[in-house]
Amino acid sequence: MKFSVFQVSRKGGREKNEDRMGYCYTKSSGLFLLADGMGGHPEGEVAAQMVLQTISALYQKEAKPEIGDPVAFFNMAIMAAHRQILRYAAERHLMDTPRTTLVAAIVQGGMAHWVHCGDSRLYFVRHGELLARTRDHSYIEQHQDHSRPEVVLPERFNRNVLYTCLGSPTKPVFDVTGPVPLQQGDRILLCSDGLWGSLEDSEIVYQLGQKPVGTAAPELVERALFKAGAHSDNVTVIAMEWETPDSFESTRGNISTDTIEDGVFASTVQAGWLDSGVDDLDDAAIERSIAEINEAIRRSAARKA
Amino acid sequence: MSKVKPAPLPPDTTIGGYRIIRKVAAGGFGLVYLALDADGQRVAVKEYLPSSLATRAPGELLPQVQPEKLSLYRLGLKSFFEEGRSLAQISHPSVVSVLNFFRENETVYMVMNYLEGAALQDFIVTARDLKQSKVFRESTIRSLFDEILRGLRIVHQHKMLHLDIKPANIFITDDNKSVLIDFGAAREVLSKEGNFIRPMYTPGFAAPEMYRRDASMGPWTDIYAIGACIYACMQGYPPNEAPQRLEKDRIAVALARLRGVYSDNLIEVVEWCMSLDPLSRPQSVFALQKELSREGERRYTKLSVGEKVRMQFDTMVTDTKRSVLGVANVGAKPK
Repeated sequence: MKFSVFQVSRKGGREKNEDRMGYCYTKSSGLFLLADGMGGHPEGEVAAQMVLQTISALYQKEAKPEIGDPVAFFNMAIMAAHRQILRYAAERHLMDTPRTTLVAAIVQGGMAHWVHCGDSRLYFVRHGELLARTRDHSYIEQHQDHSRPEVVLPERFNRNVLYTCLGSPTKPVFDVTGPVPLQQGDRILLCSDGLWGSLEDSEIVYQLGQKPVGTAAPELVERALFKAGAHSDNVTVIAMEWETPDSFESTRGNISTDTIEDGVFASTVQAGWLDSGVDDLDDAAIERSIAEINEAIRRSAARKA
Repeated sequence: MSKVKPAPLPPDTTIGGYRIIRKVAAGGFGLVYLALDADGQRVAVKEYLPSSLATRAPGELLPQVQPEKLSLYRLGLKSFFEEGRSLAQISHPSVVSVLNFFRENETVYMVMNYLEGAALQDFIVTARDLKQSKVFRESTIRSLFDEILRGLRIVHQHKMLHLDIKPANIFITDDNKSVLIDFGAAREVLSKEGNFIRPMYTPGFAAPEMYRRDASMGPWTDIYAIGACIYACMQGYPPNEAPQRLEKDRIAVALARLRGVYSDNLIEVVEWCMSLDPLSRPQSVFALQKELSREGERRYTKLSVGEKVRMQFDTMVTDTKRSVLGVANVGAKPK
């Protein structure tokens, strides 16, 4: 299994970034996650982080090395993450529960499955064209069905009004899609509303179709931030390109699982709630690093001798 | 810059069993000393001491780091470890090798082979001052870069990019070996702002993607720099910097002037490596090696008379423009 992946999250004009993202993979399966903690409720970033951790932990347990039934997995994992948030709120006697959106994709056996809850989106692009996109669980998106006459929306309609999310006292509503067969060069982009709120779908699709994900993703984020200006929402994107050919071997963001061993699990989802932008090296960690380096030096020297 | 640079450790200071002789280099990441190990062998000791984040008064041993810069300092330290860890795995004659790594004076030190010789940069300056049509012989260039590419290939195999290949970082030892030095991965993080990492770059040798924020870099980024180094070996001067080239690219013209002096193949290789579009360059060191080591008759296509005239005309126009602009500027000054 081969893919390139690029993830980036940037704080807009908001006080804090409640978006969370990450991916993990085994020898033959990959999971991509993005959650946008909701404002207006307490601790949105905790909800987002908790969802990522819960789902990636379950994935690690189940993906041996593949998920047997991705649809069933999503159904189970989302409810587990949802209950986890409710438990957290109950334990801390929070007056209101933390809430978050979620969009996630599993890629394995040449197929993709995805799920979403709320207004974080997934774009699926092939040959520069949009093949599929998730439909937000917002009043605006669900009422704009092209088979029906367009609903006249009140002026200054708030696109942020969602009718479902993880962590609310009502049971979450979510949609699972798949299996969708993948072709070489297919791109899958997961993003928070900070991206699609300021960029047109056509622009997102165009950029994603034209450039490698490592270029397209940061450029899209940069554009979205620029366009939204000082009051920009946080913008988070994780983009994946399927089966990048061998000749294009990058040292960054290109992942080939062919060489990794059975039972290996890699993850960018971090443990711990806090935004650990800079994880401080403590003395023990410094000593450990030095010992590791010296061990590597000895090994290299031994090889040479 | 009015900033005070951290003072080097005084000569004869002993750290980790090495005796400092003198400071030999300084960069954004810290200082490099010539030192002697317990057996009296010469070694290079690199001290982590980023000048933008730490200070040290003359005669002192311990650096001072302002509290608000501590997290960045630690982050840089992590990269210093990364550099050590990567170099420790690489054992290749064309890549500087690490001998030891230790902690002292509240910072860390990396001990490396001490190389006797001079940087390629110095050779280029000496050679170009001879004012001959060729700065280096083609065979010299080919064998020099053949060695460097062997080393670079190993570096890329270890999932590492050099990102600052330039004649000053290619060392020619007194026994005629070329060695890649200064894997300052630390510089990559020290200019980190927010979620982005912006590496420092050397104008002329840095590929266009290094200027863009967070653009995708890969082996092709180092390959651009290799092309620029070969160019410098042919012209005696570094090429125009990438942003300038994006506006008006004079590289092709500059290379055309070398036709007949260097083989068509070598000129084409440089053009290939220095393509502005990363995808148009050799995508791996291997691809470049293959092209560079192609044996066979070298073809030299001289410039035709027509081309020569056109080129002279071009120069004339540019020079005139320049002098006209110069005059205009002078005229504007008194205001």
